[in-house]
Amino acid sequence: MKKFKFKGVKFLLFVVALFILLSIFDFENIPRIMDKFGIILYKIIPIFALVIVLTALINYFLKPKQVMKYFGKDSGKKGLIYALIGGVLSHGPMYAWYPMLDDMRKHGLKYGLIANFMYARAVKLPLLPFMIGLFGLTFTVIVNVYILIFAILQGKVIDFLMKNEKEILKNDD
Amino acid sequence: MAFLNSFKNFLSLTPMIFAVIGLVAIFQVFVSPKMLSRFFGHGEIADIFSGTFIGAISSGNGAIAYVVAQGLKHQGISDYALIAFILAWTTLSFTHLPAEASVFGVKFTAYRNLLTFLSTIFIAYLSALSVRLFF
Repeated sequence: MKKFKFKGVKFLLFVVALFILLSIFDFENIPRIMDKFGIILYKIIPIFALVIVLTALINYFLKPKQVMKYFGKDSGKKGLIYALIGGVLSHGPMYAWYPMLDDMRKHGLKYGLIANFMYARAVKLPLLPFMIGLFGLTFTVIVNVYILIFAILQGKVIDFLMKNEKEILKNDD
Repeated sequence: MAFLNSFKNFLSLTPMIFAVIGLVAIFQVFVSPKMLSRFFGHGEIADIFSGTFIGAISSGNGAIAYVVAQGLKHQGISDYALIAFILAWTTLSFTHLPAEASVFGVKFTAYRNLLTFLSTIFIAYLSALSVRLFF
């Protein structure tokens, strides 16, 4: 049984310290910050719920061996396509997806596919009409094609740079 | 069991998530679109770099990036600088760095963000070049 451990506690303490400092030196902005905090949290709660359910479904239907097959080092083009589609379709802030990616990484998801997923998120389907309105159709198509090309390139480079990380991963677990 | 494991994994990351939201809230209050617009208007290449850097230090919903970009476009900032700004806004975030490092490790976070920074500049530049060459 793996020991439960919170991640990012030091980071949280740093932010709490920042809040304390701000409440001493700039108290009038604290209600505005708390408002923003509440709004962001409220907006991403549905995404968190989605992430928990998706992670549970992946855990239920894909055993570690299958995760390795579809998203591991020998996943090939299929893994790449799944990562790109997942990135394009995923909504909300990147950090909302960390728990799912972290869970899959522990089951064998390769670093290159995480990079593919993260960069493919730059293609924002719901915001495409804004983009077309701002830059025109041709420029929008060109930019989005380049985003996908660079998402693939990033994955390849990350896989190359992180090829010796497997042992570290095992030690992490 | 799968649901419980998934929930436990999510729960383990809650301090990091709350910290990111807190930092993003602070940034949204102190960094205004007006403040950001001061960094542009220094030539195309300089603006692409400014766009990438400013996009990376900004945070918030991707839709806000488009609203800010629209305001900047009215000020005559080039499309390429605006693309760099939007891409950096959606793919890079200094406020997320500690969280990303705590989940995926410092090495991965450093490599990915460096590559993303470079990709953003290349995409902005190549998009400009493609439009000039082919359209």
